[in-house]
Amino acid sequence: MFPNLDFVGGWRIWFAVSGALLLLSAGAIGIGRLNLGIDFQGGAQFTVVNAEHQPSDEEIAGALPSGIDREAVLVQTLDQTGYEVRTPVLSEGERRAAQDALGEVFGVQAGEVGVTNVSAAFGGQVRNQALQAVAAALIVIVVFISFRFEFGFALAAMVALVHDILMTVGFYALVGREVSLVTVVAVLTVLGYSIYDTIIIFDRIRENSPTVGYNRRRFDEMVNTSIRQVVRRSIYTSVFSLIPITALLIFGEATLADFAFALLVGIAAGTYSSIFIASPVLALYKAWRGGRLRSPRTA
Amino acid sequence: MGLVVVLLGVATYLIFIRQPVTESTQLGLDLQGGVSAQLKGTQTGGGKVTREEMELASNLIRQRIDRLGVAEPDVRVQGDDQITVQIPGVENPEEVIDIIGSTAQLGFYRVLDSEIQQGIPQDKVQDARTEIEEDLKDDDAFQDGDAKILFEESPIPGGGGRYVAGYVLNKTPDMTGDAIRQDGATVEPNPTTGKRQVSIQLTGDGGGQFGDLTQEIVSEAAPTGQPGLLAISLDKDIISAPQVTEPIFGGQVSISNDGLPEGMPEDEATQLETVLNTGALPVSMEVIAQNTVGPTLGTASLRSGLTAGLVGFALVLVLLLVIYRALGLVADLAMLIYAFLLWGIIVAVPVTMTLPGIAGIVLSVGVAADANIVIFERIKEEIRRGKTARTAIAAGYEKGFRAILDGNATTLITAFILFALSSSTVRGFAVLLVIGVVVSMFTAIVVTRALLGLLSDRGVHLPPGMMGVSKKSIVGQQRVR
Repeated sequence: MFPNLDFVGGWRIWFAVSGALLLLSAGAIGIGRLNLGIDFQGGAQFTVVNAEHQPSDEEIAGALPSGIDREAVLVQTLDQTGYEVRTPVLSEGERRAAQDALGEVFGVQAGEVGVTNVSAAFGGQVRNQALQAVAAALIVIVVFISFRFEFGFALAAMVALVHDILMTVGFYALVGREVSLVTVVAVLTVLGYSIYDTIIIFDRIRENSPTVGYNRRRFDEMVNTSIRQVVRRSIYTSVFSLIPITALLIFGEATLADFAFALLVGIAAGTYSSIFIASPVLALYKAWRGGRLRSPRTA
Repeated sequence: MGLVVVLLGVATYLIFIRQPVTESTQLGLDLQGGVSAQLKGTQTGGGKVTREEMELASNLIRQRIDRLGVAEPDVRVQGDDQITVQIPGVENPEEVIDIIGSTAQLGFYRVLDSEIQQGIPQDKVQDARTEIEEDLKDDDAFQDGDAKILFEESPIPGGGGRYVAGYVLNKTPDMTGDAIRQDGATVEPNPTTGKRQVSIQLTGDGGGQFGDLTQEIVSEAAPTGQPGLLAISLDKDIISAPQVTEPIFGGQVSISNDGLPEGMPEDEATQLETVLNTGALPVSMEVIAQNTVGPTLGTASLRSGLTAGLVGFALVLVLLLVIYRALGLVADLAMLIYAFLLWGIIVAVPVTMTLPGIAGIVLSVGVAADANIVIFERIKEEIRRGKTARTAIAAGYEKGFRAILDGNATTLITAFILFALSSSTVRGFAVLLVIGVVVSMFTAIVVTRALLGLLSDRGVHLPPGMMGVSKKSIVGQQRVR
């Protein structure tokens, strides 16, 4: 596949494509488009399915008990008869009153209204745990690859990973989907997936690597050959993973669909980054190190 | 191959025969409805709690929920100071949350002053409280020292409105629940009068403290001519405020109500017993996160998750067949075996299925398909180099395996990190991803290989076209042309 494409030599183009998308993502995050869910900042969320009535957003907000800040109420329609209503953190009494009121306005039993109520403190804890998990995963993966391959591979894989994470979070911000605990899970999964993809290519590079001597032209050509050998697999694997994920996006309810969206972006980014980011970075790192090792002798 | 057949047999037994298939898989509360809550404990007065105290508190919470007769609550200590409570299929979530949220802080106080209003209608209770509070705030006892006001409120039997009492107390309890022996409170008839009462066994220290406290109550009350009161509080509510007529030493206490023919009313006595036994712990609980899922919502989530899983799985099977032809057929069979074994393990462990769990499974379907793809691509490559089907299969496995191992190892690493660092919802995902990845490696390495071995040993001829390799891409053929 792609017999004439220069994966390594064309790095400026690949990096530019990613750079532009990353800039867009960073911009979206920068202007505050990232929609943090109640898992992270605390708040209450009510979920209704099979609603009898279809009230307007104003009617819904108006039905809530008077103590709740109307401005901060967010109503989301899930499908024809499904609704999600988000409010700031509620006390136990307010929560109960809101649940009864929503049951009435939607024409369902109060017990059928699903509630998630998260205090701000717990949200902070979840956020820290999530960041810790991502950091820990990154470190362990670098160590693992350095151990199984060598440091240059780990560095290249890391650049690709950071690229994928930024891309996933950025697209989340772009479309304004809600970031929840499930999103973090998705990001970590993307991390595992992207690294897997990268390793399949690196494994082939390792296999094709000559045991002695480094020559830039030869090494770059070898990387290109290695990618050509496994690129079909990379694409097939992505397709095979994206099929069930797309099914989740279409058929899954809110949580699953959010999860699927993150994976969709992440896996697509991951496939791209293993081929067009990780491999060129590896080649560039090798060239830089090769040059540095040689320069004292020429000087 | 024999191993695989045995495993399939075991899985069939576990899923279909041991119990009806609809009951075989344990559903999490997001799929069948229920309540979950995250509680954070703090030492009363603000200090840090120990893990042991939290373990004890979680046992008490479990006991309290058990008393409601709810099916299988899952109460777990998380970290040093948090407890996760999950109760699937609950019909009265409100009551449950009240009970777990109000983990009791038991206190005993000398009553400095009190005021009582009786026969208050329900809607006037708040007014009565305000009135009592204002009166008591003017009181010397309140203004002199570090004092607070707590209330007792209970219905008067026979529909005579409500009984509201305010008490002026020292800010910190004179004695805490520590003083009571574990399960030290019992409802029993008074040995001499036969009237119902609650007996309390105190610890050695507790007996001494209680003696001092009652001594103080009696001597402070003596000048007023009124009997002194001992207030028993649960968090911010006074549960009972019995009179103390004489100092009680020796660690044996009984609370009775001799004014009624039967002694203390039965429900009041039982409540007091429960409060005393379960509240004997110096930890305050706060509900920091709470999640209630109605049964309809749960069913809808389950249905959407299953639809997504099945559709995705079916499409993967079809695509494998289209791309890899005969090899794809083998892979499909292996994938079906994979799915079945996975289900078997989920039932056997048992793993509770949740929404994130479904996501984990869907993802592992991709991983399982991938293991086959890596090996098949390798086999096709070997065939293009002109090797026979049989040697290509052997070489494909040998070379593909290392890549799969490294790749899956990283997936497992992230899954383990997720498990170690995250909350219970995320754990469901991590657990299923790990199981899914391990089973997928097993099926790709053992099952697919055995099936392919079976084909080539039986002398079934596999022309390249049947493996999805076009004739002209084979090196040997090109040379002939």
